[in-house]
Amino acid sequence: MNHGPLLAAHVESFSFHGAQTPALRDVRLSVEAGSLTAVLGGSGSGKSTLARILAAWLPGSHGGELRGRLELGAHGAGARVDFDGGSDDPRIDPAAWAAHVAYVPQDAAAMLSTVRDTVAGELAFGLENLGVPVAEMRRRIAETAELIGLGGLLGRGPATLSGGELRRLAIGCAVIGQPSVLLLDEPFASLDAAGAGTVERLLWRLTADGTAVVVFSSAVDGLSRTATSWTVLGTGGPEGGRQLAAGPPDALLAGDALARSGVVVPGTAPQGPVRNSGHTDAAPVLELKGVRFGYHGPGASERETLRGVELAVRPGEVLAVTGPNGSGKSTLLRQLNGLLRPRAGSVLIQGLPTHGIPTGVLAVDVGLLFQDPRFQLFERTALREVAFGLGTKRRLLRPNPEDARVRERALAALAAVGLEAQSGSHPLELPASSRRLLALATVIAREPAVLALDEPTVGLDRHGLEVLDTAMAEATARGAAVVMVTHDLAYARARAHRLLRLDNGVLAPVE
Amino acid sequence: MSRGSLSLERLNPLTTLTGAAAVAVITTAAAQWAFSLTVLCGLLFLTLQQVRAAAALRAAAAILLPFWAALLLLHGLFFPEGRTVLMALGPAAVTREGLLFALDAGLRTGVFVLAFLLFSFTVRVPELLTALSARGFPPRLVFVIVSALTLLPAAAQRIARIRAAQEARGLVIGRSLASRLLAARLQAVPLVLSLVHESGERAQALDARGFSGRQRHSSLGAVPDSAPQWAARRVLLVLCLAAVAVRVALALFGGRA
Repeated sequence: MNHGPLLAAHVESFSFHGAQTPALRDVRLSVEAGSLTAVLGGSGSGKSTLARILAAWLPGSHGGELRGRLELGAHGAGARVDFDGGSDDPRIDPAAWAAHVAYVPQDAAAMLSTVRDTVAGELAFGLENLGVPVAEMRRRIAETAELIGLGGLLGRGPATLSGGELRRLAIGCAVIGQPSVLLLDEPFASLDAAGAGTVERLLWRLTADGTAVVVFSSAVDGLSRTATSWTVLGTGGPEGGRQLAAGPPDALLAGDALARSGVVVPGTAPQGPVRNSGHTDAAPVLELKGVRFGYHGPGASERETLRGVELAVRPGEVLAVTGPNGSGKSTLLRQLNGLLRPRAGSVLIQGLPTHGIPTGVLAVDVGLLFQDPRFQLFERTALREVAFGLGTKRRLLRPNPEDARVRERALAALAAVGLEAQSGSHPLELPASSRRLLALATVIAREPAVLALDEPTVGLDRHGLEVLDTAMAEATARGAAVVMVTHDLAYARARAHRLLRLDNGVLAPVE
Repeated sequence: MSRGSLSLERLNPLTTLTGAAAVAVITTAAAQWAFSLTVLCGLLFLTLQQVRAAAALRAAAAILLPFWAALLLLHGLFFPEGRTVLMALGPAAVTREGLLFALDAGLRTGVFVLAFLLFSFTVRVPELLTALSARGFPPRLVFVIVSALTLLPAAAQRIARIRAAQEARGLVIGRSLASRLLAARLQAVPLVLSLVHESGERAQALDARGFSGRQRHSSLGAVPDSAPQWAARRVLLVLCLAAVAVRVALALFGGRA
């Protein structure tokens, strides 16, 4: 048996086309059978870029110039590929590489084929392409679905899954091919406690069976604490994209690399001054009275999602809502700004019912941060993105970017989230954490009376969390209310006045 | 998922695709406005029996109304072969021949558009993909065909997402045509940019999942088919060929061109 590394890489440098500086410099990684490795780094440290290089999604033809080598050991029959950044660099067969090295991107939906209309069909897609016999396929689908906790959702349409369910499906699509190396970018993003537990158990089982697992994350979590080794990448300035440290977790926890990179280490992050005292005597700025809602249509669950939700949130109050994946938390937030309308019951903003008022008008009072920033961002530059809709006179016309007042507000919001230097960047080309902060900027620029934040902490590094804290503190200080949906219970307990749980369509306090 | 016995979702996708193509070819070959009108009415009736009738009709209206308006303006007012002047408007003239030409072309285009929209809004994409792959089409070609045939439904979903993001930031879409046109203008560029951005990412994911592999693919589910559907597809193909042959013969041997 070969005991060498299953996958080894040395990225001397990787630069995106047209970039002034390399995204990665002198990064080495080597993973052995049964190992669990965590690659940690703050926003923009190049974690996702490294994951994509290891998954062979970037070298050769896509995106940039790579110098270095990739090496597949053991099951990969010792394949070694050298890159010198030239046009004649070798091309890797993505399917052959993926048979050994499977990758789940941070944006889990990008993993899906979009041409399968059930969870079972999506799980089968990769196996069908390999010509796996139907009986074997059914066996592996059933087994994988149980492992990822989607056994009861095999007939559902992937488009109807919640964010957490979608992530587990993407992980299932990766592991069903039985790769020897599994790369997971922010695997716990949007997962509830049960979902995270399911994924943790799955990964432990895979490592026990000899699979090498590599997770890429901006936070030290329960799984990464059990890792065999950590690699820390630097963020910004001369350290950006460089390997700051590598070694066993205990040694790195004792050093300063994690802090320099902006990695979130639970228990060490400064507590932001989010909680104001709240205006306990003031009239509620947001009320939900007996709100009921259910989806209908192909692939949707027939169960009613909201079954009589009662809620009152006062000015200056921060309310956190948690609950299992698919329990309807995002659905609840979309009731606030009218993107979804109650089937029964009513929503009141500043005492007035939202019934019959267009979403575009409600947007003045309710700012919604979408769970997936890609669905919130649509403009060509970050500045235009934040400026959209800030002009109040001509709602249908795009505000003139030269309009001084709009521009000033947009730039101020960008500065508040630390993205003023990226004002000319395309939103979808920003790192995932920056996309979330840009989406946050579009919300705070409007200074709404209610901030509805859907999973605002996902993928944020320490700097990002500080930005979020400041944004919430400033909003509550001027009397706005914050309703935050999150699976990050520690964050919710530290920052919110109240924590509620949405389960079976109703809200209840969390003890 | 479907309603009524006339739901097309239950049919093999190759049957509905052959049907759409046959309707378009035969109507074009017939080149008779009365025939086109009859077929268009039939298609409208069939569309109304489908679950996604409203979405399909909205897409058809978005394509056809501007097209019909342009036809009417162009041929109704400026038809060079027009002899029977119904109304003179300076350099332009409304002629009987021009109006008939616009009517004929408009109805034929209407049949073509509605037939393929009916197919796109009722086809089950996984089944179409499986059916084409099983007949030996290369996977990339199949994906391009399927993407093209289902572009409008996919774009409609994407536009709904973009509109939600814009409404969440203050876009108010009124009921007037002007308001809808302005909203469409705001959504057009983001739609194209997001489709282009996603296509690159999607191609990588599909490659990594072995979609472009040359080995024979297997299929988890069977695509519904039956002997009558098999026979219907062949009859439709024969009718298409016959219609084209008659049309060519009439053109060559002195019939109405």
